[in-house]
Amino acid sequence: MPDDTAMGYENILLDRNGPVGVVTLNRPKVLNALSPALIAEVTDALSHLEDEGEIRAAVLTGGPRVFAAGADIVDMAERSPVDQLLRDQTGRWSRVASFSKPLIAAVNGYALGGGCELALMCDMIVAGDSARFGQPEINLGIIPGAGGTQRWPRTVGKYVAMEVNLTGGQVSAQRAYQLGLVNRVVPAEVTLRVAVDIARQLATKPPLALRLAKESVNKSLETPLSEGLSNERKNFYFLFATEDQKEGMRAFLEKRRGEFKGR
Amino acid sequence: MTEAATGSVLKYEVENGVAWLRLNRPESLNAVNNELRHALAEAVKRAERDAEVRALVVTGEGRAFCAGADLREFQERTGAVEAIRGEYESLLLRLHGMAKPTIAAVNGVAAGIGASIAFACDLRYAVPEASFREAFVRIGLTVDGGATWLLPRLIGSGKALEMFYTGDPLGAEEGAGLGLVNRVVEPGELEPMVRSLAERFATGPAAALGAIKRSVNFAAGATLEEALDFEFLLQGAMMETEDFQEGVMAFLEKRPPNFKGR
Repeated sequence: MPDDTAMGYENILLDRNGPVGVVTLNRPKVLNALSPALIAEVTDALSHLEDEGEIRAAVLTGGPRVFAAGADIVDMAERSPVDQLLRDQTGRWSRVASFSKPLIAAVNGYALGGGCELALMCDMIVAGDSARFGQPEINLGIIPGAGGTQRWPRTVGKYVAMEVNLTGGQVSAQRAYQLGLVNRVVPAEVTLRVAVDIARQLATKPPLALRLAKESVNKSLETPLSEGLSNERKNFYFLFATEDQKEGMRAFLEKRRGEFKGR
Repeated sequence: MTEAATGSVLKYEVENGVAWLRLNRPESLNAVNNELRHALAEAVKRAERDAEVRALVVTGEGRAFCAGADLREFQERTGAVEAIRGEYESLLLRLHGMAKPTIAAVNGVAAGIGASIAFACDLRYAVPEASFREAFVRIGLTVDGGATWLLPRLIGSGKALEMFYTGDPLGAEEGAGLGLVNRVVEPGELEPMVRSLAERFATGPAAALGAIKRSVNFAAGATLEEALDFEFLLQGAMMETEDFQEGVMAFLEKRPPNFKGR
């Protein structure tokens, strides 16, 4: 049931496919350039999906041809640092990274600049065989401002991160897969479908455990090992307080599939 | 479209869904100069983008397929090295990567970049007098044009290295024995034979033909598990094409299918 018109979205589409929310960047004429209006709509849509109990996972895509070729340069060219700070365009993206449910990027074609950073904020990336990733900001006299210099090295290590951020060159889907940036390379015709399938599988799993697994993995990127392990243990113990843990273990012993409620 | 857009050193024609690229410097055995290199890169790009084009054939006018890079211009170092490299790479990557069948009709000698063009195509049909040659070593150069990647995959590294080390030509018949040449065809028959095959591809199920090539190319850099996944997903996409519906109907009705390329 697409209800993007009800929400008044002009730059994105929001669909609900059973327990999976699908957010589609929808400015194909400008290769999904990430305007402030588009960013506001993405974060708004994710806030709705966050609050809806029946939504258990989400997919973020740019449609069949392009994920997002970057920020709106026309819009950005003459801005001052103060303009930039006041609008805090990249800071607003934090809503994407803080989304508590599994979020899967379905990437076809270019994911460049802000588009690449947006994909990197997701939990998994499914790439069509035509996908290209990169941070071309350097060629415009700037650097990435929404995580490009931070998430690349945490994912692929310093040296490839330097290459991408310093040269502005692009990484193919196959190379991204070899680097561990992409979970699966699939024919571009089915990228979204595969991402939705993965999301639907995740939607059958216990939501609170998913949430704490996601949180624990993300924490590992920001903490020393001992702190991360301690955090993981607390989350592990906590889950024994949930109904879903009781159900999950009972179902396992009874050799049936668990029915999880997110309680 | 005819040759106008790409200049007379390369004739470009689309006929019955097939793009014909004819190297047209017969007086120089179709050696690739700056103009021809540029025209080839543009023509292959155009053929890839043109939805009317469903198969591509490369062949040479006169008695050679392509004798390689034009050493006269090479010596003068005309043209920026990076631009030259970019055009060669674009040409070879597209021939090898475009989701449409590509055929080399090898009407004579194919040396250096000429051999590479033939190797980058999906299929090679050659006249008995045709030969393939990588003579770089004879002038103190290493092999380029992607041949170090392409040729060992076609004939194995032992045979490929022998050709690279000696610079000796490999004849069409021997090439056929090694699987490099799909078939040896008499000169008068080469073009009609290739035309008939290319036009058969052009009236075939375009998405499936493209998917076959994409799967083969994907598999070259993947594990069996990854290749199985990729194949399976593409098959799912094919099952949604009109051509699949038509193929199944035609089979059940015991008639030849009428594919539309959708």
